[in-house]
Amino acid sequence: MFLHILKYELKNGLRNKDLIIWLILFPIVLGTFFKIAFGSIYEKHDKFSSIPVAIVEVKENPAFRQVIEGMESSEQPFLKASFVDKDKAEKLLENGDVEGIIFLEDKLRLTVKEKDIQETMLKFFIEQYSVRESIAMEAVKEAPEKAQEVIAVLTEETAASCREIPLTQGNPDVYIQYFYNLIAMVAMFGCITGMHITMQNQANLSPHGARNNCSPVPKSLNILACITGSIIMQTVCMVCCVTFLAFVLKVDFGDRLWLVYPSAILGGITGVSFGFFLGSVNRLSEKAKTAVLMSVTMFLLFCSGLMAGNMKGIISEKLPWFNNVNPAAVISDCFYCLNLYENYDRYLTKIATMCGISVIFIVLGFITSRRKKYASI
Amino acid sequence: MQVFKAMMKVTRRWLPSALVYIIVFVVISIFASSSSTKENKFEVTKLDICVFDRDDTPESHALIELIGKNNNLKHLEDDKDVIIDALYYGRVDYALIINEGYAEKLGNGETADLFGSYHIDESFSIVYINQFLEQYTSSVKAYLAMGKPLSEAVASAENVLTQESEVDMFRGNDEGNEHFSVAFSSYFLFMPYILISAVFVVICQVLVVMNRKDLRFRTNCSCIKNTSYSMQLCLGSVAFVMTVWLFLMVVGAFLNKEMYSGRAWLAVLNSFIFSLVVAAIAVLVSCFEPKQNVLNLITQVIGLGMCFLCGVFIPASMLGDNVIAISRFLPAYWYVKANSMIAETEPYSFDSVMQCYMIQLSFAAAMVVLALLVRRVKYSGAAISTSVKKIAANS
Repeated sequence: MFLHILKYELKNGLRNKDLIIWLILFPIVLGTFFKIAFGSIYEKHDKFSSIPVAIVEVKENPAFRQVIEGMESSEQPFLKASFVDKDKAEKLLENGDVEGIIFLEDKLRLTVKEKDIQETMLKFFIEQYSVRESIAMEAVKEAPEKAQEVIAVLTEETAASCREIPLTQGNPDVYIQYFYNLIAMVAMFGCITGMHITMQNQANLSPHGARNNCSPVPKSLNILACITGSIIMQTVCMVCCVTFLAFVLKVDFGDRLWLVYPSAILGGITGVSFGFFLGSVNRLSEKAKTAVLMSVTMFLLFCSGLMAGNMKGIISEKLPWFNNVNPAAVISDCFYCLNLYENYDRYLTKIATMCGISVIFIVLGFITSRRKKYASI
Repeated sequence: MQVFKAMMKVTRRWLPSALVYIIVFVVISIFASSSSTKENKFEVTKLDICVFDRDDTPESHALIELIGKNNNLKHLEDDKDVIIDALYYGRVDYALIINEGYAEKLGNGETADLFGSYHIDESFSIVYINQFLEQYTSSVKAYLAMGKPLSEAVASAENVLTQESEVDMFRGNDEGNEHFSVAFSSYFLFMPYILISAVFVVICQVLVVMNRKDLRFRTNCSCIKNTSYSMQLCLGSVAFVMTVWLFLMVVGAFLNKEMYSGRAWLAVLNSFIFSLVVAAIAVLVSCFEPKQNVLNLITQVIGLGMCFLCGVFIPASMLGDNVIAISRFLPAYWYVKANSMIAETEPYSFDSVMQCYMIQLSFAAAMVVLALLVRRVKYSGAAISTSVKKIAANS
């Protein structure tokens, strides 16, 4: 009987257009938009690249020109300078082709259009130049005999004072978390599949439920078959989603893609169990249940960073425990851990949390759906 | 006006869904507008820096104090996972370690390996602070070369590094036009998504209901003229779109804290034209009589698609060149372009703004023509008789 119910549950699921639209088509569409929108931001905006700047020589300054030329010959220069006249420089700045204009007058003068880190770095650059100048002047004034030595110290190439300690070999692109949350969204949308289990077993909600209630099959067996069917369908959706992101959109999940699949599937199971529990805990109509589920799910996804990427960071500062119990955050954290952490401790904790949440929801769902009898409907 | 009245009755049923979008948008806009400033002076970007002082000497304290002058110092637990989280989510831009023996090495004029920095990538902030540390150590070294003792060299370096140079803002204005600030322009910038979502949710649903086969057949055999029927549907749709648009304009005036003036009227006109485009697309989509779940998907695809591709959610400057090339074929691109020109984040020219208006209007006209074509084909005598035959065969 279990297999019989399972077969019909699967057939039912396959014919459900909502499932295909929201769990397969919508993630594909949203994922494509995410890729288009966030695909090049990290490379263009966050990752360091030489800052384009226009230099206007109001007064000849060969020393400065030498500094710029020396700098540009380095492997990754700080500035990408172009010596132009004032009108051209202003045009470049207006069109956003350069971040600022340095005017070489008696003192260096900087003109910028925006107030981002690039502009702060330009300001630091011209200050750096004047700092060296004033130290050299001070040396000439206070200790002329050592001036030569001081200038040598200021201009010599020294070993880097700061040693960089890389913390991870993973993909540091922060925008990739939108894709983690997209997978979390598909997993959490599994709650709608989970809710249908209740719809089919609660006699006051659907004719199907009424029919099931008066059949001689034990309710537990019926529900178990329905849950298995829902989980199988959800698994297919999760696999489609991850495959599309990883192989079509070429999202870089780090070097442990083989673990992304089981994590996503487990996430899907968490979503189904969440829907099963919330569906069976009340006797609301289908519309009301869907509304409650969607609002709760969207709220959890918002907290996990689907709409605003830094939300999880903010919550981890203010309410750190919430990220550990929010199923959406736990699911997206799994992919984050696989990408950035070399060890598996935190990943396994997240997996254990997901298993725990799923078991609790399924058990609670079973408990709340038993002994519901209907004398007449 | 029976058709118009019936349409309004159906509209009322779908209104709550549209209201959800509008209310969320207005609430977010209120928060966004209260946090924007009109200050127009260059300010340095303050980075969030966390320092692990493993030397703990007066020299290392002096350096931390100097860093804290232009940046925000943050405290983090000295745990690898915590630091990765903070760096990844941007709660901390730089995690600096002052190595043990820093003061001693510095005093001896050694600069190698004074610091360590935890990092996950090569971002602007990493390069900036590294440069700052190089500058600091070379300044201290220069003062030491002058023969000053370490404590004095550190103090002099701090002194010389805190001298700030003036920075001019280009044309003294990056806040946009005096009547239409950049901060306020973001209200108009996000409007396409809301207009598309709210209008589609209601107009498409209502038009689909009104065009339902049984209702349509009943209306067709009534004495009402076809032109009158279509006109009333058009009137109903325009009335709804204009109500939503007017409401958003009134809210905008409140957010702006004054009535629109000067160039702001161009932005108002821009949004008016865009709402016409949205109405035309809605009419075209409803001609295909999509089912509700398909319609929801279409709404999301058109709404999110246009907003992601055309620079509504993500500034156009951050999108790839090929994305921009595609988005030129979408009306929202021209809406956003006009909006940025009016706010002067792009060079303003009246003719170019007009050009954007005309392109949007041509999109609207093209949609209307397409909608008329689809309707003509769908509701032609031949098409109706085929569907009647189908229904008869099924029954």
